[in-house]
This record gives sequence, C-alpha cells and structure tokens, in this order.
Amino acid sequence: MDFAWSDQQRELLDAVGRFASKQLDYDVIANDRDAVFNHDAWKKCGDFGIQGLPVPAEYGGLGVDPLTTVAALERLGYSCKDNGLLFSINAHMWTAIIPVLDNGTEAQKKKYLPGLCNGTLIGGNAMSEPNSGSDAFSLSTTAVKKGSTYILNGSKIFVTNGPIADLLVVFVTMDKARGADGLCAFLVEKDSPGLDVSKKIEKMGVRTSPMAEVFFTDCAVPEENLLGKEGAGSFMFTKSMTWERGCILASAVGSMQRLLETSIRYAKERRQGGQSIGKFQRVADKIVNMKLRVQSARHMLYHCAWLRGQREPVYMEAAMAKLHISDCWVKCCEDAIQIRGGYGFMVEYEVERELRDAIGSKLYSGTSEIQRSIIASWLGL
Amino acid sequence: MTQGQSVEKILVPFKSVPDPYAGAAASTSKSVINPFDEIAIEEALQIRERGEATEIVGVTIGAPAVDEQIRAALAMGIDRAVRIDDARALDPYAVARILRALVEKESPQVVIMGKQAVDDDSNQVGQMLAGLLGWPQATFVSKIEFLENKTRARCTRETDGGLEIVAINLPAIITTDLRLNEPRYVSLPGLMKARRKPIETLTCEQLGVTVRPMTTTLSTSSPTRRAAGTRVGSVEELMAKLKQEAKVL
Repeated sequence: MDFAWSDQQRELLDAVGRFASKQLDYDVIANDRDAVFNHDAWKKCGDFGIQGLPVPAEYGGLGVDPLTTVAALERLGYSCKDNGLLFSINAHMWTAIIPVLDNGTEAQKKKYLPGLCNGTLIGGNAMSEPNSGSDAFSLSTTAVKKGSTYILNGSKIFVTNGPIADLLVVFVTMDKARGADGLCAFLVEKDSPGLDVSKKIEKMGVRTSPMAEVFFTDCAVPEENLLGKEGAGSFMFTKSMTWERGCILASAVGSMQRLLETSIRYAKERRQGGQSIGKFQRVADKIVNMKLRVQSARHMLYHCAWLRGQREPVYMEAAMAKLHISDCWVKCCEDAIQIRGGYGFMVEYEVERELRDAIGSKLYSGTSEIQRSIIASWLGL
Repeated sequence: MTQGQSVEKILVPFKSVPDPYAGAAASTSKSVINPFDEIAIEEALQIRERGEATEIVGVTIGAPAVDEQIRAALAMGIDRAVRIDDARALDPYAVARILRALVEKESPQVVIMGKQAVDDDSNQVGQMLAGLLGWPQATFVSKIEFLENKTRARCTRETDGGLEIVAINLPAIITTDLRLNEPRYVSLPGLMKARRKPIETLTCEQLGVTVRPMTTTLSTSSPTRRAAGTRVGSVEELMAKLKQEAKVL
C-alpha cells in the first residue's frame, strides 16, 4: 500500500491549489446572496484544465487517473469557497462529460468533449422528474422515433446547470411497460425546438449553482444524438452514477479540511475566561471529531477512486463514500459554527453558508437513505 | 512600428526564492520563481505571442531542487531552459559573470529579468550583466515596445520622479518593474506540455567561468515583533502621551 504522491502528482496538485486560491476565491458572499453563477471563474477553470481532468487528451482533456482527479478536486474545494461553482463543475463532469465519454459515438465525443473540457460548453443532466426521484427508473418523459428524429415529451426537475447548460443529457423512456429496460438517453442542445427551461429555482444552499426545470414539448432530437443504444439508459445511468457518487464530494473533503484549519485557528485565537477556547475540552473534542471525519472521508474518497483506477467495480464503495462524506461534511459545518458561537451564525464568517451548501449533499446523487439501501443490497440484505 | 522580422531569441534569467506569500502559517519552506522574474517571463511570452519573438530560453542557477521552478517557467510557456548546476549562495557579481558566459553561448537579442530578487533585494545583477557585456540597459521597466525592425526598443522606466522613456539599441538588458504585466497562472495543460520540454544542465566549468562568493552571509533573522499598541480614551490623552511618553511633540 503506497500513500505517497509521485512528484508529478504533487506538482499538479500544487498548481491546482495556487490557481484556485488566486483566481477563484472572490465575491462568494454576494454571489450566494444574489444566487449568481460565476461565469468568469467557470471559464478560468476550463482554461486551467479542471473540467477535462479525467478526459483523454485526444478529446481535449488531460487524461489524468481517477485518484489524481479527485485529489485535484479536493484541492479545488480547499482553496475555493464557492461550493456552488464546484457543484456545477462536478455535475458537469460526472453527469454530462462522463456519460458522453463512456457511451458516446466517436462523432459525439469529437463534437462535444473538447468544448465541455475547456469550459466553452456547459453540460447538465436531466433525470429526476416531479414523480420519480429515488425511484429513478419509473420516469415518464417519453421518446418516440419518427423518421430520423426522436420526439421527446415530458418534464424534468432539479436540473443542475439547467439555466446555463448548452448540452443536456436527458433520460427518457421509449416503452414504460418495459420499466428500466425501456430507458434511453439523448444529448439535447440548448436551442432545440420544443425545449423550454424554467427560470432559476431558488435553493437553500449551493445558490451560486443555477438549477431549473426543463420541459419537452414535441422536442425533436436528431437520431445521431441518441446516446448509447435504445434500452441502454438504465445501464448507462447506473454506471455514470458510480462516478458521480464516488467523485462529486471530492471538493467537500477539501472544504472540510479548510473548516478544520480555520476552526483550529479560531479556537487558538479566541480567548474566554483567560485562555484560548481550544483549551476547553468541549471545544477541543469538536475539533478532534472534525479531524477524524476529514481523515476518514478522505480515505474513502481516495480508496474508491483508486479502485476505479484499477478497473474494479465500485458500486458499494461509491455509495459508502457518498454517504460518509456527506454526513461528515454536514457535521463538520455544524461544529465549525458551534465553535465560533454567535459569530458562526453571521454571514461574514462564511461558515453558515458552508452548512447550507453541505446539506444538499445528503440529497443529490441519491439520498443518504438510498445509499444505505445500495450498501445493504451489496451486503446481501 | 512593430513590423518586420521578430527578435530571434529572448533570454530570461530567473531566481528561485522562498515563497513570499507563504505567510507565517506555512509549515514547509516552499520555493517559487522570484515574482519580478515571473513578470519578465510573462513579458517575454506576450512578446512572442504578438509575433515579435521566436524563442524564449530561461536560465537559473541552483541545485536540482530548482527544477521545480524551471518546470513552472516551462509550464507558463517558455520554450526551453538551462540550469547552471551550482548550489552555492552566489553574490550578484558571480551571478552576472555566469549569465554573461551564457549570453555569449546563447546570443539572445534581448535579456529580460526582474529588477531584483525578493529574497535579498540586491537589485544589481541586471546592471552588472549589462556592464560586463557592454550592452545598453533599461531598468525598472513598465512598458516595452520594439522599434525600427527590432534593432531598438523603447522602454518606459519607473523612477522616483515619474516615468522616463528611453530608447536602447539591441541587444540589451531590460529589468522589469511590478506594473509591466500580470503574470499568467500555470495551467494543467501547460504543466503536461512542460514535462516534454528540455532542461539542459551546465556547470560553471563547462561555461568556462570560475566564480567564488565574495560575500558570506553570517546570519539571518526575522524582524522583531512589535508590541501591541494601546488604546487612548481621548485626544487630550493622546496629546499628553505624545508629549510626555513618546516625547515627539
């Protein structure tokens, strides 16, 4: 077992840290208040190489292995406090780029991946519907083949990047009676006739990441935009979900590390009753718990990514990482606030936002309850 | 005014220095490219991107550990780099003599470098190098334009009294001031490309230079911490303290 980074990995991770701390960390309080997406920072990330980390060089990416990729995203989360931007980037990478990379035709990959990697294109994923969330395969948006096009009808909810997306990966059913076997996926461009995107949905957290509902009304999609085969939708979804669950919270581990460090600093500097509050065991205990959570979360993240790099199946590991990291992130945020007392409740201290941002992680990409169901089923229960 | 053939080669000497932005919290002593030299690298890149130069060669002096800063310079976009393998703490005159030997080997038309290194603030190497080569120099430069088919350069210098614009014949030495440009950050694709760019290692012996340090650093220390100030209740109290305690009034 080797826990050391190679020189090349260290060099890459240091570059990410320098980039993120100097180029991305600005206007976060105001953008959160006004729910503004930072387009400029998005493009900077594309130019810098973030979105293309796991994509082979022939499609405009860097071709970096999964472990290095999650470590880079962890550094990004450590140095950039705009969790909404990071959520948008993650959604784009795991639910748009990866499905295209894994299932796209050569023509689809050549057409979309370079732009998705360098930040000129923004991707989103449309799966959840008003009546199908955790029971994802019961979706009811339909596609009917008509000549050389498919006609899509229905609506999708909670579409991350919806208001700004240039390309949506949309899951639909071609035969509801066949259940999961009737699903397929399409690459739908933003200007497609019959595609309507709602205005931004207001959210509790990750407010700088825009989310929308999308509606398909006799939306005609050319047949060359079918992603994978007819009926392969559920297989593709399940596969890309393991990427999503295993990687989407990489930045959260970086955020937790930052919360740990700032909380230690606060506990040392803040004096009450003639001593640093860190000397009080009840404060120190919280910080020790934060440390344990960061460390265990990081190990689960890395292990899952490492397994993927070894081409091992990670269905259970990804669910475990997602469940554990989201749980740790929320608890770390609560502790970070509690350690700061009343100040932690104030916007200026930037930890209340962190808690609002963290809570969504127990809901998206499968709720914590669903992750537990997955783990239980892999344990034979 | 910037027509005609491009400058064939720009040489950018740079120094590896302790990260000035690391702050007291940093647990490790990380090195970076001297910020003024980073500005020099950026300027050379912009000149090349405008089609006014063909090749940018970087040079630094140090132990193999400085390869990290060399790769950063390559990742920013310079074409190739030379490391003069010498781990000693050299004073400015020694550095200038080594650079002269390299200039004679590489024959650049322009040498662009930081006006000083932020670790020792000597502000001498560029001037000494110009003197040793018998080349014109423009120091503390905040703007560079090439004139007359790249035979001359017009440089804006930042002086205490304001701006001074000078024209110098090429080849020449130009040292950079803070406001010349904003250096780009190293991108990951740049980093990947840098891994394939060559780093040549030379010794002083190979360059035919014998240098020996003429200055010995005896010790270094941080500035003493200032004691915390006190808060006064009124202007009257402040005036009284200034008169009686500080005795400045």
